[in-house]
Amino acid sequence: MFTKKVKSLLAVALPVALAASVVVITPASAGGTLTRTPGQEVSYKAYGAEYANVATTADGDDACSWYETSKKDYSGKTLRVLTHAIPNMGKPTALHAKQFEELTGGKVEVEHVSFGDLYAKQLRSYQTDTNQYDVVFNGSYQIGDFHSYYAKVPDSVTKGKGSLATLTPLYKELYKWDGETKLFGIDADRHFLKYRTDVYENAAAKAFYKSKTGKELAVPKTWKEYNLHAKTFNGYKPAGQPAGLKFAGTTEITQKGGLMFGAFIDRVAPYAKNPNVKGGFWFDENMVPQVNNPGFVAGLTDFVEATKFMPVGGKNFDLSKEIESFGRGDSLLSYTWDDAWSKSNEPTSPIKNKVKAAPLPGAEKVWNRVTKKWDTPKGGVNYAPYIAWGWSSAVTAASPSKAMAFDYLCFWANKANHKLDLTIGDMGVNPSRTEDFTSDFWVKEMNWGKPAVDSWLGTMQNYEKNTNRVFDLRVPGVSDYMTAMENAVAKALAGQATPQKALDEAAKEWNAITKRVGITKVKSAYQNVIALEDNIK
Amino acid sequence: MKKGYPRFFLLPGLILLIAIIIFPLLFTIRVTFSSWNVSQTGLNFIGGENWAEMARDTRYWGSMLRLFYLSFLTVAIQYALGFAIALFAWKGIAARRFFRVLWLIPMMTTPSLMAIIWRSIFTEDIGALNGILSRVGLNPVNWLTESGPANIAITIVEVWQWTPFMFLILLAGLLSLPKEPFMAAAIDGASAWKTFARVTFPMMAPISIGAIMIRLIDASKIFDSVFTMTRGGPGNATETPAAYIFQRSLQDFQIAYGSTLALMYLILAILTLTIIGKVFARLSKPRGI
Amino acid sequence: MYKVLKATFITIWSLFVLFPIMWAITTSFKPESAVVNGATFIPFLEFQPSLIGWKAILPGPDSITNLITPTLNSFIVTAGATAISLIFGSLAAYGLSRFTYGWKNYSNADIIFFFVSQRIMPPVVLAIPFFLLLKELKLLDTHLGLILVLTSGLMPIVVWLMVDFFNALPREIDEMAMLEGCNPIQAFFRTILPLSKPGLTVAGMFCVIFGWNDVFFALTLTATKVLTLPVAVIALNGTVTPYWILAASTVFSIIPLVGLAFVIERFLSRGNLGGAVR
Repeated sequence: MFTKKVKSLLAVALPVALAASVVVITPASAGGTLTRTPGQEVSYKAYGAEYANVATTADGDDACSWYETSKKDYSGKTLRVLTHAIPNMGKPTALHAKQFEELTGGKVEVEHVSFGDLYAKQLRSYQTDTNQYDVVFNGSYQIGDFHSYYAKVPDSVTKGKGSLATLTPLYKELYKWDGETKLFGIDADRHFLKYRTDVYENAAAKAFYKSKTGKELAVPKTWKEYNLHAKTFNGYKPAGQPAGLKFAGTTEITQKGGLMFGAFIDRVAPYAKNPNVKGGFWFDENMVPQVNNPGFVAGLTDFVEATKFMPVGGKNFDLSKEIESFGRGDSLLSYTWDDAWSKSNEPTSPIKNKVKAAPLPGAEKVWNRVTKKWDTPKGGVNYAPYIAWGWSSAVTAASPSKAMAFDYLCFWANKANHKLDLTIGDMGVNPSRTEDFTSDFWVKEMNWGKPAVDSWLGTMQNYEKNTNRVFDLRVPGVSDYMTAMENAVAKALAGQATPQKALDEAAKEWNAITKRVGITKVKSAYQNVIALEDNIK
Repeated sequence: MKKGYPRFFLLPGLILLIAIIIFPLLFTIRVTFSSWNVSQTGLNFIGGENWAEMARDTRYWGSMLRLFYLSFLTVAIQYALGFAIALFAWKGIAARRFFRVLWLIPMMTTPSLMAIIWRSIFTEDIGALNGILSRVGLNPVNWLTESGPANIAITIVEVWQWTPFMFLILLAGLLSLPKEPFMAAAIDGASAWKTFARVTFPMMAPISIGAIMIRLIDASKIFDSVFTMTRGGPGNATETPAAYIFQRSLQDFQIAYGSTLALMYLILAILTLTIIGKVFARLSKPRGI
Repeated sequence: MYKVLKATFITIWSLFVLFPIMWAITTSFKPESAVVNGATFIPFLEFQPSLIGWKAILPGPDSITNLITPTLNSFIVTAGATAISLIFGSLAAYGLSRFTYGWKNYSNADIIFFFVSQRIMPPVVLAIPFFLLLKELKLLDTHLGLILVLTSGLMPIVVWLMVDFFNALPREIDEMAMLEGCNPIQAFFRTILPLSKPGLTVAGMFCVIFGWNDVFFALTLTATKVLTLPVAVIALNGTVTPYWILAASTVFSIIPLVGLAFVIERFLSRGNLGGAVR
C-alpha cells in the first residue's frame, strides 16, 4: 500500500523535477555527486584537517575547471594511477582523484610507491605488455626511456584554454620528444642557490670575512667562491642562528641513490658547458663520453673539497636530508631543488626570511673539448645552470581510457588547483606557468618576504633567458648512466679514488652502457638533448 | 611397505614447489644469454657476453668478498649470543618467561621497517646514538659515512634482528635434551663448564648446524639494512651482492646482467653451503654422546 | 663473580633488545620539530608528546593513509601461504623422514637441500619472471598469486624443521598404527599429526614471521588491490622522511607479531615445543 503510494508520487514528481532541473538549475553534475557552478569558490577544506589552513580561490575559466569537469560523466569507469609516495605528488594525486570522483562519478585507483619503484614498476608493466596503468608519474629526465609508451598530450591541453597553455616556453620544449608533447607538465623544476641573509647581508659577518680572506663578501659567483665561503663560515655563529644549532658551510646531496647526480651536475656544468662548443655536453660527436674530461674533474674536485665544510652526517645526505638540514638552519649555503627553499619559507621555519635565492654559481674557467684547453669566459665567469628535471606525468599509450585519463590530469592541473597546490609546500608543485611568476601571489597569499620572493623569481626568469644551459641526459638508459656516474662520485667523496680515476671508471662504464643500449639509439635520442643545449628550435 | 605411499607424501609438496619455481628459474637462466635491458625488451641471444662482463666486474667480486666476512661474522655473533641467552633462559635465572618473550621480539619486527628505525638511530645529525654520545660529552661517530663504523652499524642491526632466531631454535633444543647425561655428569662431579663442553654443546651440535645453515642462507641475502642505511656507501664500503644486484636489476633495469649476477651468486652459494655442510657433518660425527 | 657477569650480560642484552623498540615508540609520539632538530629522548622534558604520527595512520580527519585494509590483506596472504606451506611441507617432510627416495645418486638429504636451497636466490631477480608468470595466470595483484609466490619461500622452512621433528618421533608409533590396520596415510593423519602440534607450531610461526615481513614480492606483484601492511608503510617514505609517522606505523605493524611472541613463550614453558627442532 505504502510502496504504491510512493511509486505514484514519484511518477509525478520525477518528471516535474527533471523538467525543472533543465529549466532552472545551471549547476552541472552529470555523473558525480558534487554540483558546481561557474566561478564557484574552490576550497580543499572538506578534504581533511590538513587542508584547514589552505587558501581558497575562484574556479578558473579554463577547459578543465571544476565546473567544466563536473559536466562529464564517467560513471562505471575506472582509472589506474601510479604515483609517488605521500606527500610529494602523492598528496595532490590522491586529493584530485577524490575530487574527480565526486565530480564525474568515475573511479580513480591510486597506487603510491617510492621514487625508485615508480621507474621499475612502469618499465616492468611496459616491457611485459601488462598495461597496468592509465596515468603515471615520473621524473621528466626519464622521457628517453618512456616516450614510446606514452600517448601524445592533446593540443586542447597545451593550447587555448587548456591547463598547460601558459607553461613557460622553456618547459614546453622540455616536455616534448621529437616535437610531440609527451609529458603532462604538472611541475617545472630547476636548481638554484640558497643562501643565508643573516650572513651575506650582515655587517659583522662581512667584516669577519674580510678579516679572514681580505675580500669583500658577496653572493658567490663561482663554485670556488662558494667553497671559500663555506670554508670561512664553517663553525661561525650568524646573528640569526637558531639556538643550540651548530653552523656549517654547505648542505648538499651526497648519497648515491639519493639523487646526488643532480648536485654533481650543478657543480660540474659551468666548468664543462662551453657556450662556444656546440654539439654535445655529455658526449662529443663520436659519442665519446665527456664525464671524465677536465671540466668534470674540476667540478668533482670542488665537490670533494666541500665535504670538509658540511654539517655532521652531511656526507650521507639524500635529497630528503638536504631539505631537512638546510631547512632547520644547519648551514650557510645549499643548492638543488625548490624543496629546501619552500621548507625555509614555511611559517614554522626557524630561518624564515633569512634565506634568499640566486642563480647557481659559475666557474672562472671553462673546458673546451674541441681545443682541449681551458677557455677564459667572457666577463670572467661562465654560468651554465642545470635545468634539473621535475615531476611530470603522462597517459600511457596502451590505456583503454585515454580521454578520461587526460581529463583527470587536466583537472589535476587546472588553474584553481594549480594555484592552491602551489601554496602547499610538501605537494611538490612548483611555479611553472607565466602567471606563477608574479611576486604578489607569494607575498600576499603565502606571506613570504618580498625580497626573498623577488630573488627567487628573478633567478627563475634568469634561467629562462640564459642560453648556456645544461639539461638531463634524456636518452634511453639514463638511470644507468646516472648511477654509474654517482657510483664514481661516491667513491671520490669517500676518498676511495681520486676524482680523475673515479671518473675514468665512470667513462669506461658509460661506454659499456652505450654499447649495451645501442650506440645508434643513444645517439639519435641525444640529438633531442643537443637541441635543448644549443637552443635549436 | 606398499608402493605409492612414499610418493603420496613427497610429491605434492615437491611438485607444487617445482611448479612455482621452474619457470622463474629457467627464465633466469635463459635471460642471462640475452641483453634484456631498459631499451631492449625480450629474449634475444647474445651468447656469453653477460658472463664475460661479470668475470671482469670488480665491483661484483668486491661485494662477494665483503659478503663473506659480513655473513660469517654476523652469523657467528648471532650464534654465540643466541646460545648464551638461550642457556640463561633455559634455567637458572629469575623471570625466565619474561626474558624469553623480550628476547624474541626483534625477530617479530619487519626488517625493512626496522631498518628505517635503525637509520634514525644511526643517522649522524639527528640520530639517537650520536645524541647519547653528545650528552655524555663524547664526539659524534660517523656511523654511516666512514667505512669501519658503517660496517659495525650494519653488523649491529643484523645481530639485533636475527639473534632471536638462533635463541629460539637453541632454546627449544635445550628444552628437549634428555636428562640422563646431565645426571651422569653431576654424579661424576663435573664442573658447570665441563658439563657444557662435554655434554650440552655436543648434544646441541645437530640443531646448531641446522640453525647456522639457515641463517647463513638468509644472512647472505643481507639487503634491507644496507640499502636503507648506507645505500652501500661510503663509496662501495658496505655494498653486498644483494644490494648490487638490486641496483643492476631494478634501478638500472639491466634484467639480463642482474640475472647473470644472481645466478652466479646462486651457484656459489650452493657450492659454499654444500662444503660447509660437509665440514659440519664431519666435525660433529665422531663426537656425540 | 659469575653471577655479576651474568646479570650484567642479561641487563645489557635486554637494553640492547629494547632500545630500538623504545626509540620507535617515543619517536611515534614526537612532533616534527622534536625529530628534525636533533635527537630528543625524554617526553615532556625534551619534547612535548604529540599524536600527529598516530593520527596520520589511524582513521580520522587527520588520516593520510588507511592501514586497516593492508592489515587485512597481510592477514589473508600470511595465513594462506602459511597454511599451504604447512600442509604440503609437513607431508613432504614426513615422507623424507620415513621413506628412502632414490633417483640416480640423489638421496633424501639432497632432496631436503633442494627444498632449502629455494631460499638462496635473491628475490630481486625473480621480480620479472614471477611477474610474467602471474600475468599469464591472471594472478597479478591477487591474494592467491602472492600466496603462491610466498609459499616457495616458506615451504623450505617447514620441510627443514619438520624433517628433524619427525625423525625425533619414534617409528614405533607409526608401526603400531599400521599393525592396527591403518595404511601409512591414515597412520600419518590419525597418530602422527596429533603428536606434531609443537613442531607445526614452530614451523607455522616461522612462516607467519617471514610471510608477514615480506616486502619485496608484495611490492612487485601487487598494486592497489592486495596492498600489504609493510608495503603500505614503506609507501609513506616520501621526499621528506616523516620519521614520526613511519615510527607509528612500524609500531602498529609489529603489534600483531609481538602477540605471537607471547604465544610461543607459552608453548616453550609448557615444554612441548622442545621436540620441534630435534
